[in-house]
Amino acid sequence: MRSPLKLFSVLSTDLPIVLVTSAALLGGAQLATAAEPAAADSDVSSRYWQTANAPDHELYVKEAMPPGFQVIATELEGPVFADSKGHTLYKWPLRALRNGATGDREGRPSACTNEVLRVSAGLMSPYPPGLVLPDLDQRPSCVDLWPPVLAPKDAKEVGKWTIIQRDDGAGQWAYGGYPLYTSSLDRQTGDVNGGTKMDAGGDGGVVRIPVGPAPAVPPGFKIAFSTTGHMITTDDGASVYTWDGDKSGTSNCFKECLTAWTPVLAPEIVKERDDWTIIKRAPGVNQWAFRGKPLYTYNYDRGSRNFWGADVPGWHNVYTQRTLRPPEAFTVQDVEGGGQVLADSRGRTIYRYNCRDDSFAQLACDNPDSTQAYRMAICGDGDPKLCRETFPYVIAPAGAKSTSRLWSIMAIDPNTGHRAAPGQESLQVWAYRDRPVYTYAGDDKPGVTNADGYGEFTGRRNGFKAFVLWDIFGSNEFRP
Amino acid sequence: MTPTSRCLLGALTLTALTSGGSALAADALRDGRIGYVMTERRWAVYETPDGKVECPRGFNSGPREQFDELFPKGKVYTEMESRLMREGRTFHLENQKDPFPFYEAQGPMSYGLNLDGKTGPNDYQGPLGEKGVDNQLYRAIGCIAAYRMGGVVSFFDTDDMYGNAYNRWLIELTGVDDMVNDDEVTVTTYRGLNELHRDGTGTAFAPGSTQQVDVRWGKSFVSQLKGKIVNGVLTTEPIDALKWPNSQPGVFSGYYIMRGSRLHLDLTQRAAQGVLAGYVDVESFSHQLNTNWATHHQSYGQLSAASLHRALRRLADGYADAKTGVNTAISSAVQLSFVQAYLVHPQEKTVIASKAR
Repeated sequence: MRSPLKLFSVLSTDLPIVLVTSAALLGGAQLATAAEPAAADSDVSSRYWQTANAPDHELYVKEAMPPGFQVIATELEGPVFADSKGHTLYKWPLRALRNGATGDREGRPSACTNEVLRVSAGLMSPYPPGLVLPDLDQRPSCVDLWPPVLAPKDAKEVGKWTIIQRDDGAGQWAYGGYPLYTSSLDRQTGDVNGGTKMDAGGDGGVVRIPVGPAPAVPPGFKIAFSTTGHMITTDDGASVYTWDGDKSGTSNCFKECLTAWTPVLAPEIVKERDDWTIIKRAPGVNQWAFRGKPLYTYNYDRGSRNFWGADVPGWHNVYTQRTLRPPEAFTVQDVEGGGQVLADSRGRTIYRYNCRDDSFAQLACDNPDSTQAYRMAICGDGDPKLCRETFPYVIAPAGAKSTSRLWSIMAIDPNTGHRAAPGQESLQVWAYRDRPVYTYAGDDKPGVTNADGYGEFTGRRNGFKAFVLWDIFGSNEFRP
Repeated sequence: MTPTSRCLLGALTLTALTSGGSALAADALRDGRIGYVMTERRWAVYETPDGKVECPRGFNSGPREQFDELFPKGKVYTEMESRLMREGRTFHLENQKDPFPFYEAQGPMSYGLNLDGKTGPNDYQGPLGEKGVDNQLYRAIGCIAAYRMGGVVSFFDTDDMYGNAYNRWLIELTGVDDMVNDDEVTVTTYRGLNELHRDGTGTAFAPGSTQQVDVRWGKSFVSQLKGKIVNGVLTTEPIDALKWPNSQPGVFSGYYIMRGSRLHLDLTQRAAQGVLAGYVDVESFSHQLNTNWATHHQSYGQLSAASLHRALRRLADGYADAKTGVNTAISSAVQLSFVQAYLVHPQEKTVIASKAR
């Protein structure tokens, strides 16, 4: 059997690491022998996360809502709609997979029923439909996990809030034409464990998406949902930046500064509102400012939604809100994939496990309350011990705490992968959004992400993906 | 495409890139330094029309065909015993025998280099008459549709490289006195950070672009080889291990490790073309395949990763494990094309992950 511990030993053990200068390369000079320290970013905390007492949160466009609903400010997803009990609302839009589509059609009754589906739908090739799903005796229905948000008989539609009849005749609230649900994974007000606004991509399955009001950004801007928060970009996706050299309401970026940075200009006639104001660069030349700080794009950015400009000292990406820093035991590492990942205290990359079953209900199988059959197959060929050896849990030390709501310590039964019962011997593991996180035995050093893509559909469907904070070549920091 | 026509096409491409633009060509070698960026890569597979010579029993079956054979229609199966068993075994392959026949490529011909300096019973003859060509990887993949010209791996390995700079592979020659004959040059490999620069037709790549060397994240892809140029052909001495990036869209990792690797490239000041040959590490080869190619995509090319992995282990012919004596790497060759590029080194100090001893 292949051992991941041995998989990647070739380069890490056999080869000398040497230092050579460009001048030496030019002349073919003798190579010197000295190791270069790993790239360090002393400013990573403020780069990706906001402090617990920071007031930053995303403002939104207020709209009329039916009685009983509210808007809740959440740490990762920003403002979301919730019911009267504080449960976050989700939609399940139809989406095409490889061999067909499922989900709710706009303006049509819910496809999420109380039937316990027993066989696969065959939506993800190459496997056929009709395969018996695992753990049938404990398998929930779609409604068990996604209770519909029912409307009282006398409820009245308001704006985008409409009522759609379920097959049993009950009225179900819908927003923007899509039926609304709560999630059994959300336990407290502000939990958004059922889904995310980040784009799961086609092979991640047909996912549930939290519903909320539109962010209050002026025309010409939009929000990119990343693993670290809500980044502001221009309409065409260019990241915007602020500079420590500016004062509130004043730009000091002129002459040489403008060779690398371009002010984000505002129309001549513009309405200032909330966080968004304008400054006068020159008579008739308006520049957008966010929370008082003038905004720029970086002339050397590569592609859209980028962090390159924040590598320049004193310059920062701009967020409406960022998440709070992960627990102290976690670190940030440069990785050869190109960018940075969240890592454990040894610098080993943190992985999250993604899973959605192949039924028409597309139920999540990525958390300890769901079947573990899929994860066990991938991480250990069904063997829990091999699974733990290949993808070890990240053990939380005694007394560890998290200021972030996203991070918690979970008691896990090591043999089943489910939550441990009270009093049962268990592992105390770190969990992100109520899902344990892992490292990979084949990552023999910091700076590698060898398990990214490990599993079905390159880790998106039933497998492991690195916890990416910055991907210089792709968009993995904008994927769940 | 026949081997002859492919050779002709290669020669024409190189000739076309060589001719014209003389001012640029004259400038490309500066201070003994010239750089190139890779524009094409393909595991070398020698093909005859319809594959009847090298694959007389046809092509191998893939995941879809194997699943149908294991689980014939008319019965009900669980996901556990079918799909999840298959997917789990892909990543945790036991040492059991492959239940499916595996068709190895037949015939005396293959692309590649003589890696061990010997001529043995399993060696091939090159299309130009070279003796002792070592390329057992060809024996393993030659009858898998995915790796043949136009196959899913053959095509997307290059096509996905265009749009994903993670895969940008650069070589830089230094200490060059003469591009035609020079008995001592240094070749350094890097990952680049920039997009490829297409020519006016949009279908080919133009020499003369700028590529920034990735010395922050791409340290492990920096290797240094010693070589010489004879009649315009660069050959390098083998290097212990060379790692080069190879990732599919959306995957945040992916690379091959080649032991005893060396370059053999026809050089001009506008382009380079030839092979990278050596012993590719079997475990990392299969890991790259499993993490970058979903079973769905493998099915397009009738590529069963589990069957191929067993074949790689069986045919491995180099770098025996010191304890078990089992070979860990398999002889192989990658056909490569480059165009000249100006490499920009963003900092003075560059870390070399591996170098010739």
